[in-house]
Amino acid sequence: MANPPIRRPALASAHDLELVGFAAGGDRAAFGELVRRHNSLVRGLLRRMGADGPTADDVAQDAFLTAFEQIAEFRGEGAFRAWVSRIAARLYVRRWRRQAKADLMAEASEMESGTPSHAPAADARIDLDEALKSLSEPERICVSLCYGAGLSHAEAATALNAPLGTVKSHVKRGLDKLRSRLSPDGDGGQRSKVSA
Amino acid sequence: MPDNSFEFALERMFAEAPRRPDSDLFAARVLERLDRGWTARRALIGAMGVMGGLIGAGQLLGAGALHELAAFGARSNDYVTQHLPPELASLAAPAGLPAGAQAIWMAAALALVAAGFGVARLVREI
Repeated sequence: MANPPIRRPALASAHDLELVGFAAGGDRAAFGELVRRHNSLVRGLLRRMGADGPTADDVAQDAFLTAFEQIAEFRGEGAFRAWVSRIAARLYVRRWRRQAKADLMAEASEMESGTPSHAPAADARIDLDEALKSLSEPERICVSLCYGAGLSHAEAATALNAPLGTVKSHVKRGLDKLRSRLSPDGDGGQRSKVSA
Repeated sequence: MPDNSFEFALERMFAEAPRRPDSDLFAARVLERLDRGWTARRALIGAMGVMGGLIGAGQLLGAGALHELAAFGARSNDYVTQHLPPELASLAAPAGLPAGAQAIWMAAALALVAAGFGVARLVREI
């Protein structure tokens, strides 16, 4: 591999945008630094969307490889971590839809009943990960797409191939449940992570 | 878009992922897959180049290109010996030699190989 034409600073101290520039020039070490910095966030997001550990890691790897392939398209308008998170979230949604684990519309009946799919143990530490378990799978995915990956409702609807209204409904219901779990006056009480 | 403080807080919580203990290992695996992909791509490009070269050579042989080249070489030699001064004619002598056509063919093949390397390099850079 040829050396990059510009002398680069120490990777650990370089800004993400600098690393992206080097990676776009084929510098894999620079890209490796980006992976090191942001893989925890991406893998965490995928787990929060409902992926099990191996699946989350698998999709995250694919997401970073896709990011490397498409890195010239990253214009730096947002953060690299947000960009790669969106790639990962879309990849996971595609896989989730392919496996047809759940039908967004079918889940509506469960939502109507208001019964959480996983009730957290009484003594469980109430944090985002636990609170997300109280959401149905489509709610969790919709909320994660919009608030974890930064997609708009319309973008999430496109990714999920679901009606916009359905996505908005899932997001609203998911938010209501999370608010009740995480807000200071909700079930989370003093253990809540959302401070005033 | 978030419309209240709870939604901002939710975004913040999503963004606050603890560093996973196997983060470096994960990055190493990604780079390993990246290298594997490049190796496979280079092998594929090389294989396609060889295949293209063989097909091209087959087409040239099938079309009697060697005979044409030999005839062209002989005609060139005749022209050179008849129309050019002897000093210049001696410089052009290899084209008229019995192996002159093969020399031209080999030069063309080498040019093709060089072009193949050039394309492979270009693809790598892109």
